[in-house]
Amino acid sequence: MSNQRQASSASQVPHLSPAELSYLYTSLSLPKNPIRPDGRSPTQFRPLSAETTILPGANGSARIGFADGTQAIVGVKAEVEKTVIAADTLDSRSLAQHGDALNREGEEGSAAVSGQGEWVQMSIEIPGFRDDDALPVFLSEMMRESLVGSVSGGSGDSKEMAGGLKGRLVINKRWHWRLYIDVLLLSQPLAYPLPLLSLTTHLALLSTKLPKLKSTGEEDPFFDDDWAAAEYLYPRSNTSKSPLSAAPSYPVRPPVTLLVISVGENVIFDPNREEIAVADAVLAISVTRSSDSETLKLLSIRSIDPPSRLTQPGIPNSENVNMLGATAGPGEESGGQEEVEGVWRPRRGGVKRNVIARMIKNVLGKGGVGEEVLEGLEGVVVQ
Amino acid sequence: MKSLRRDLSANPQAANVTSKVFVRSTKSGKVQKIVRELYLREDIPCSSKLCSQCPTIAPADANGKIAPFILSDRPAGTTAFPRGHYIVPDTNALLNGMDLFEHTGAFYDVIVLQTVLEELRNRSIPLYNRLLALVKSDEKRFYLFFNEFRRETHVRRGPEETINDRNDRAVRMVATWYSSHLQQSAKKGKKEKAIPAIVVITDDKENLRKCKEENVAALSLSDYVSGLEGSEMLLDMISESKDARDAKETTRGEFFYPEYFTMSKLTTGLRAGTLHQGVFNVSPYNYLEASVKTAAFDKPLLILGRDNSNRAIAGDSVVVEVLPQDQWKSPSTKIVDEEAVTRNDNPDTEETDAVVTDRERKALQEEVKKAHGKNSDGKPQPTAKVVGVIKRSWRQYVGHVDSNSTGSQASGRRQQNVFLLPMDKRIPKIRVRTRQASDILGQRILVTIDSWDRDSRYPTGHFIRSLGELETKGAETEALLLEYDVQYKPFPKSVLDCLPSEGHNWKVPVSKEDKGWTGRKDLRDLLICSIDPPGCQDIDDALHARLLPNGNFEVGVHIADVSHFVKPNNPMDLEASIRGTTVYLVDKRIDMLPHLLGTDICSLKPYVERYAFSVQWEMTPDAEIVSSNFSKSVIRSREAFSYEQAQLRIDDKSQQDELTESMRTLLKFSKVLRQKRMDAGALNLASPEVRIESEGDEVGDPLTDVKTKAMLDTNSLVEEFMLLANITVASKVYESFPQTALLRRHATPPPQNFEDLQKQLSKKRDMELDVSSSRALADSLDRCIDPKNPFFNTLVRILATRCMTSAEYFCAGAFGESEFRHYGLASPIYTHFTSPIRRYADLMVHRQLASAIGYEGEDGHAVIEGVSTRNKLEDICRNINVRHRNAQHAGRASIEYYVGQALKARGEKMAADGVDAGIEEEGYVMRVFENGVVIFVPRFGIEGVVRLEDFVLPGESGARSVAERRELAPHRTTEFDSEEYTLCVEEKGHPEKERSVTVELFQKVRVNVSSVKEEGRGAGKRRVRILVTEA
Repeated sequence: MSNQRQASSASQVPHLSPAELSYLYTSLSLPKNPIRPDGRSPTQFRPLSAETTILPGANGSARIGFADGTQAIVGVKAEVEKTVIAADTLDSRSLAQHGDALNREGEEGSAAVSGQGEWVQMSIEIPGFRDDDALPVFLSEMMRESLVGSVSGGSGDSKEMAGGLKGRLVINKRWHWRLYIDVLLLSQPLAYPLPLLSLTTHLALLSTKLPKLKSTGEEDPFFDDDWAAAEYLYPRSNTSKSPLSAAPSYPVRPPVTLLVISVGENVIFDPNREEIAVADAVLAISVTRSSDSETLKLLSIRSIDPPSRLTQPGIPNSENVNMLGATAGPGEESGGQEEVEGVWRPRRGGVKRNVIARMIKNVLGKGGVGEEVLEGLEGVVVQ
Repeated sequence: MKSLRRDLSANPQAANVTSKVFVRSTKSGKVQKIVRELYLREDIPCSSKLCSQCPTIAPADANGKIAPFILSDRPAGTTAFPRGHYIVPDTNALLNGMDLFEHTGAFYDVIVLQTVLEELRNRSIPLYNRLLALVKSDEKRFYLFFNEFRRETHVRRGPEETINDRNDRAVRMVATWYSSHLQQSAKKGKKEKAIPAIVVITDDKENLRKCKEENVAALSLSDYVSGLEGSEMLLDMISESKDARDAKETTRGEFFYPEYFTMSKLTTGLRAGTLHQGVFNVSPYNYLEASVKTAAFDKPLLILGRDNSNRAIAGDSVVVEVLPQDQWKSPSTKIVDEEAVTRNDNPDTEETDAVVTDRERKALQEEVKKAHGKNSDGKPQPTAKVVGVIKRSWRQYVGHVDSNSTGSQASGRRQQNVFLLPMDKRIPKIRVRTRQASDILGQRILVTIDSWDRDSRYPTGHFIRSLGELETKGAETEALLLEYDVQYKPFPKSVLDCLPSEGHNWKVPVSKEDKGWTGRKDLRDLLICSIDPPGCQDIDDALHARLLPNGNFEVGVHIADVSHFVKPNNPMDLEASIRGTTVYLVDKRIDMLPHLLGTDICSLKPYVERYAFSVQWEMTPDAEIVSSNFSKSVIRSREAFSYEQAQLRIDDKSQQDELTESMRTLLKFSKVLRQKRMDAGALNLASPEVRIESEGDEVGDPLTDVKTKAMLDTNSLVEEFMLLANITVASKVYESFPQTALLRRHATPPPQNFEDLQKQLSKKRDMELDVSSSRALADSLDRCIDPKNPFFNTLVRILATRCMTSAEYFCAGAFGESEFRHYGLASPIYTHFTSPIRRYADLMVHRQLASAIGYEGEDGHAVIEGVSTRNKLEDICRNINVRHRNAQHAGRASIEYYVGQALKARGEKMAADGVDAGIEEEGYVMRVFENGVVIFVPRFGIEGVVRLEDFVLPGESGARSVAERRELAPHRTTEFDSEEYTLCVEEKGHPEKERSVTVELFQKVRVNVSSVKEEGRGAGKRRVRILVTEA
């Protein structure tokens, strides 16, 4: 039980003494230029090695490894499937059931059938966890949500991506692709694995290809048997610019979820386990690039409980934040809370609005971390 | 963010592994990415006898032997390559010129690339099989080089490179490699003079250009052939290449036919049930009418006219779309022959009008008129049009060149288009480009269809070879065998090697200790005899009967033990399984098994000991079976009778010996058995069969040689016991192998098959045909008697037989037990066991029965061999069903040809005396059309179409030449009553009754039978002309 609760939080608590935690916290919260244990700048990512198309049998795949030994592999498989609820074969029962969905389609006014979120399935395997444990389920839902939610504006050059990934999976009214994304963490989760898994998934999706459709219209799908003719799930722009040019070679990209923490006034990216342990707030921010705007688009923000929000071992109930309501009356201050120099205490209370705003701005801004990450990943795929 | 890529280029092993990636769409609709890893090797030999390196590295098989090297060290040279050459064809060269590669005059030492073979398999399975056969045969020195597996010749597909370009590159790569490899490794002493050139043959212009760039010798197929001897004949054998067709297409953008649907549209339609798939069947009486039997409908869909049949050829598996109801029509009541309608088409120029010419349209128009008649019989039927072809079943067609189509200036070697008229009336004329038009005129030639494009009214094909002069016996017999796909080549050596080494001296071992006796019963002291047609050499069966001490009888049927000599899966067995059956022609027998087995070692000849497979029953004196018993045995037949001899002996009261007595017992039992069978509802069917008894090679007199099959009691004696044996064996093998027993069934025909006949009978004769069961049918057939016309009953039986489905072999697992029924024999289960010398099915059943009774064979491990897997058995069944049908057709065609020839010979003899009067015979009207009737002449077992001009009207002399009579046709008019099935022929402007002839269905007419030379399709076949002289 306790293991599970820990799992759903940012990470296992590192075995650091209160003194060490306090030191870490102080260094990280130094105004303007925090000092990180590994000497990185606040926005600097750990170096990673990456490669794509490592699983020959999958439609797309990628591997990313951090220098600390954590590695993830993602494989993407696509299958053709019959669309069960086609608008023209609806019976009254399903009409009633899916009336809403239909109306929404009508509002969108598009002739094409819109895709369904459930066509993307994601499973995450983390060593030491069952597949129905909270962490894998939570992580996969968090990543899937931004994936299927990332509807692009859908105008201009990328007609295929109208309706986002969901739209891309539509073959015709009666057929669609189903995408299975299998994420495998190869090592013990030393840090909260979300960024690693998200980046790997991103790369895998970028390298995913679907067989080229030969049939047209509402015919049963019929595909070119030449794999070299297969088309990318996320189309690449046709004009082959030199890789050095700044113009993105993908009009639309799958989302990336970044982990950002705040310590004091500072915003720190790609935190390692120790840094998370002393974080005031941990946010998972999903961004993507859409075709119609220069800037990145924010898809979702989720806050994740840092371990500091958990009960530390050996804390008496009277001092346990989580037990406040149970033992003492609400609003009653517990004793012994004066700060002791050199001894770290978990922070209480919320995060300031302007800190969160800064976190988001750092990600989304022009030349910000988000763009840097996307470009870095692009360098891996486009060769 | 810093990100690194892993680099694999430094890995030294990477060069040895590569993979092949493709997309596979499964039937169930899955689309999978398939990755096959390829491990490249360096020990695949070049297989040239010149090479000194490869023999040392070539991999050895389990016995430590290296496959013998194939390519000659002295390959043939041409003018362009005087030092000899090896040929490396690319896929297109093989597609366009497979007939050339099979030709025995040229194309030796060919290197067939794996790349090319695989590509060919994707393009055309039949050509792929033919190429494999070439590779397997030793004579032509074709070597299959696994270039994709050899490291030096493997080609990785570059980015943006099409599969085609990559494969072309692979071909060039092999050519380059072979050249340098042979340079290096040729045996010393030969180095300078005799390194053969490696010649790439490709029809791809781009590839030719690149070959030139890369210094690879390359020629197009036609350029290469031009440099050979006899190139004119060889050039005719090239298919019209795709390029030439493309070029044509750009010059003339006109299409006669609608385009086919795309494959995906077809499959969508088929799955959704809006399109239907079936086999395209052309009516033998009207080439513009076809039917397609589909799973969705009880009755076949009609396809009328050339644009609706849209380039489908009889036998193709097509997809059709049903036409709207206002276009439904009734089947035609008219005889339409292609050559009569399209006689003047010019093969060189396509006329500019639409695909349906006016004449054709007119012919159709009249049918439509009929369709709107008041008649229920003429009720419009659903029609359909062909929208796609799933599988072409184009084969090689025998025919002759239409003399009208050759240019008048037949001089010179100019290439010209001619029309070939196939023997098979259901196949359209084929346009053939040839340089030897004047040579092949008047010959039986073999051609194949290459394509049928939208812009061509007729299919395009190419010449393969000439079989010889029309109407010569050799050419016509071969034509017949080719047309019915009968394998008539002599048995190859590998098959003959499987025969017992003793040859004709083979004997049953004397010592019972010999392994040949293991598991065999000694039945040599039984009084066994065989009864067969006169002159029979391959005696399959023999019989005996004797009284048992308990008052019951022991009856035995002994069948030649062929399975003892034909072991499963050896070359002889495979050859027999392909041939499927022995084919009997009038003057020739094409054996399923080599002569030595069929007519000597297996044949149950009299006075000698032979291995047999015996079925013995204990029967009560009332022919009730008490028990049955199966065993491998050794027998000694006491006598081989013909039916007549046996009959005489039985009837001869003075003969009182045991053998005759046992025959009498058999006869008595057979009558009881027959009665029981009839009571159970077995049908007594009739087919118009005659026997030709001729002596020597000479064509004799048709009146004396043609005999209708006489039915003696002894015929029925043998037949009854064979049926009994077959049924007994069938139950036994089914009991032992419920899934894999090889059985024979005759499906109950659907009642609608009989509708027409029922209607005709009730209309014309007021007779009922009850088709509710076989018993009911048998009884109602018995009642169909016309006292004035004794042949009427047989005629009805013949017609009824044609309404039924044909019996078929099947594997027990393929049907439910209730479907096993043999309708005609009224037996719940049936198989073929009694003629293993001439039927492969019987041989299989022998093996199964041997396993069922636990016979272990000479060496004790034969037990499992009889039982095959169901899949394999179903393949065999499919094949032998086809072979069986073809053999029957070939036999009938042979008789027809013989009758024609005999009539011709007689005609010539008579003509020498001054009169060619033909032969007066009785005939019966089988079918009435609007412009003719079909008449059956029982005397010769032939049926023929009688056209308007061939009705001899009262007051007109009967004998006129064909040409004169043809002149008559336009002057005749008819009155056709499709309800009454009558046709009244009269002369235009002479409406008076006495100048007309009226014929009706089932009517007996006097006919004059003669053989005439016809320019049409029948040329060479001696169409038998029937003149109706007296209605």
